[in-house]
Amino acid sequence: MVASQDAKAFGELIRRHQSQVRNFLRKLARDETLADDLAQDCFLHVWDKIHTYSGSGSFIGWVLKVAYTTFLQSKRKSKRYHEILEQAGHETDRAPVAIQNAPETELDLDTLLAALNEQERVIMIFSYACGLSHREISEATDLPAGTVKSIIHRAKERIRTQFEIENHQYG
Amino acid sequence: MKSKIINMADKTSDAVDRLLASAFDAPPIADDGFSDGIISKIRRRIWVNRLALPVAILVGVAFALKPALQLINALLPLLNVMPVELASVPMQFMPQIQLIVMGGMAFAAGITLLKMLEET
Repeated sequence: MVASQDAKAFGELIRRHQSQVRNFLRKLARDETLADDLAQDCFLHVWDKIHTYSGSGSFIGWVLKVAYTTFLQSKRKSKRYHEILEQAGHETDRAPVAIQNAPETELDLDTLLAALNEQERVIMIFSYACGLSHREISEATDLPAGTVKSIIHRAKERIRTQFEIENHQYG
Repeated sequence: MKSKIINMADKTSDAVDRLLASAFDAPPIADDGFSDGIISKIRRRIWVNRLALPVAILVGVAFALKPALQLINALLPLLNVMPVELASVPMQFMPQIQLIVMGGMAFAAGITLLKMLEET
């Protein structure tokens, strides 16, 4: 139904998946407004490319892959924009925008994510925030499933070491 | 002793899992018109795509009409220079040519109309 470019059915799909996509992008971008703009772009890309969805994997996995690609494209554009500004001699404000009035769990998440490198962060968000399987993450990031598994393991070890989880209240 | 170490490792792994699960846990985000905004953008885009070809044709015709008429006007005197037998050949086929052109245009318009009805 959606493949035949039915806007009404597509609206239903957006309603069903918007929360997960926006949550994913908010965690990646750390800026709610930017994340929502990216989510909008993501769904427009999904609309344009829906005919390429083979139906082999989960639909949300495929949508999150599009969301991740949209995020990377925006990041590249932003990087290029900052480079041009720097070349032009302007000062750039590259500090990430903090989420105001964020609940305590968000602050904990910031601390945890700060301990990880970019690749680990993305994969942990896919795994823990979106609940994707290793295979789905592998499809979304174009990494082998074994590599995904080892990155998750490495990230968990890093968190365990850095935050001394053995002595932590969770341990 | 060994099993105790393994259990400790498992317990540590579970603790990290629990910590991550609680840190990543987020309430669902309310739609609040988000999907409607995207759908209205998509609908606008569909209309733009639908109108793009007819508008492009109209603009093309508007631009090409004047030079085309000038070209025809410039070529018309050549008919007087041509031998009568040769000049009468296209005139013989003129009714058929007009019919073919009109038929082609009606066919193209019909296909465009059907496509628009199908997409609506």
